[in-house]
Amino acid sequence: MNGVAVVKTVILFLPTRLASVTNNVATAFVQIWANKIRSLLTVLGIIIAVTSIITVVSFVRGFGEYFTDFLRGLGTNLMVVSPEWKRGPRGEFIGRANMYLEDIQAVNAQCPAIRRTTPVMWTGPSIEYGRQRIARVEMRCASEQFQAIRNYYVDAGRFFGAIDVENANQVAILGREVLRKLECDESIVGDYVLIEGQRFKVLGLLEAKGQFMDDNQDELVVIPWTAGLKLYPDERNYMGFYVEADGEQNVAEAEAQLTRVLRQRHNLKPGQPHDFRVFKQDQMLKEFNKVEQVATSILGGIVSISLLVGGIGIMNVMLVSVTERTREIGLRKSVGARRRDILSQFLTEAVVLSTIGGAIGIGLGYAIGFVASMHPDMVQVKVPLWSVALALGFSAGVGIFFGIIPAFKAAILHPIDALRHE
Amino acid sequence: MIAGPQSRTPVIEILDVHKVYRVGTELVHALRGVTTTICENEYVAIMGSSGSGKSTLMNILGCLDIPTEGVYRLGGVDVSRMSQSRLAHVRSRRIGFVFQSFELLPRTTALKNVELPLTYSHTPKRRQKALEALDRVGLTDRMHHHPNQLSGGQKQRVAIARALAQSPDIILADEPTGNLDSKTGDEIMAIFDGLHAEGQTIVVVTHEDHIASRCKRVIRLMDGRIVRDSITERMEKSLPLTDLAPRVAALEEVAV
Repeated sequence: MNGVAVVKTVILFLPTRLASVTNNVATAFVQIWANKIRSLLTVLGIIIAVTSIITVVSFVRGFGEYFTDFLRGLGTNLMVVSPEWKRGPRGEFIGRANMYLEDIQAVNAQCPAIRRTTPVMWTGPSIEYGRQRIARVEMRCASEQFQAIRNYYVDAGRFFGAIDVENANQVAILGREVLRKLECDESIVGDYVLIEGQRFKVLGLLEAKGQFMDDNQDELVVIPWTAGLKLYPDERNYMGFYVEADGEQNVAEAEAQLTRVLRQRHNLKPGQPHDFRVFKQDQMLKEFNKVEQVATSILGGIVSISLLVGGIGIMNVMLVSVTERTREIGLRKSVGARRRDILSQFLTEAVVLSTIGGAIGIGLGYAIGFVASMHPDMVQVKVPLWSVALALGFSAGVGIFFGIIPAFKAAILHPIDALRHE
Repeated sequence: MIAGPQSRTPVIEILDVHKVYRVGTELVHALRGVTTTICENEYVAIMGSSGSGKSTLMNILGCLDIPTEGVYRLGGVDVSRMSQSRLAHVRSRRIGFVFQSFELLPRTTALKNVELPLTYSHTPKRRQKALEALDRVGLTDRMHHHPNQLSGGQKQRVAIARALAQSPDIILADEPTGNLDSKTGDEIMAIFDGLHAEGQTIVVVTHEDHIASRCKRVIRLMDGRIVRDSITERMEKSLPLTDLAPRVAALEEVAV
């Protein structure tokens, strides 16, 4: 056959072949609709599998994006250095390793990849204003660099300056949630609050950042670290600090430099572990990715079991269908259906059935995500397109895999025996 | 007056056809050497009691089965050794079946039922051809009805339309009036009469004499052999010798 003839044949055949595909799909829908309840029960396994794919993936993605946003909000070049916990011979905690202001100053001076640092103390004092009292509030004691390093600015009043740090002035910056809990408005700026019973002048208010997980980021108080040392004198031996690397590409270099400086100053021999801890964002991301992986493997378990159950259900119902419709198969064969026509008809039916299950599952997954997103403390759930494609692909695949045996059984029926079937 | 077979083109030629089934360990000889010719526009009844081999002969004529021995030529093409898929192709183009219990697809309109064979033969203009076929059996007004909305006679007319749709060489009807009352049965036979008048070749399998009496030729089977053929009785002198011998043998057997 020459090329032109081949093309002609293909063109002649295309519409009719397409017609037989649409015929198969139409027949499948008629059959499935004729046995609505049976079909629904059959695809339950697939529905559960796909619903769990969509739900889990969308929750994990939703948290993932939320988490990434949160990290970006922290400042992209941020590293947090804190003294390591010391452990006794049985692994129990026996206090913290030492870290002094001099260590921080040395890091600041000797590490060219570091743009700026600020000492930090993490404390939880009580705070009072008028009749209102918060027993424990998140407080950071830091320098005037806090704003720039943490990417966290005041939008009312002003931040404290270098002079306030130098003089250990008792001044405080409050977050919005603290304001709410103290039942006051922006007029508090210029007024005094009591922190651990000491009078602190409110200089400014931090911009609202919103909630992260259970933790309200706006429930925060910032005071000069020098003033903090007056409240907590012991902390001078266990100081931590924030580091801002000189650009995102220099984060690793900055870490290497500060590690070298600190190990040298703490007289650590090679092989000895660090007595401090460096926390970077990519580490937090790694931690989160671990959670994501666990969630994904649990998902994999649920999905494979319910897909298996769903697939067996489909195989079962297709075998029943083939037996019920033996005469129909005989008739179809007697009017000219070939084995592959019957095979593709029943295979199409299995695939349509399982894909309907998949579509219902996707709908349910979306619905669950939508309902969950309406809760105020919930993150915005995202359903990625790839998970929809994956779910549909999986369900169609199950239809093919578990539909092939019944379809084959139908295809090899002898027309005479099939027509004689009662 | 009926013309002789040799004056028209033969549609079906079977020569010394045997069919042996294996049932468990036993061999059953359903056909023991059947030879006959059916020509264009013949209207033939095949009769015989149950076990006579008429269903087996019907299956072989309809290309649903192949003979164990012997030759079957349909429209000049030897189909006696064809594969299942080629037989399916032959069925879809050349043969129209009408069954006793109609065998319409449920939940499918009359029109779609008639289109079914055309789908398998990938015939273009299916809808138009199906409509024409429905028109020939006078059911155009019922084309969107489902089988459960049709009477028995109407169902059988849809089935006849389905058999007609692809303009087959031959229509094979297996007890077409078996599930119908006699009045409706007569209506169905009247349709076959009309189709015969239009030139269609028809073979009807039946055990009812009044059905067979409408046909122009009656072939009677017994124990897997043709024992009587109305046309041979009239034409035997003009038949070629090869055809004659087994028939004479069959007649002798009956005489004994």
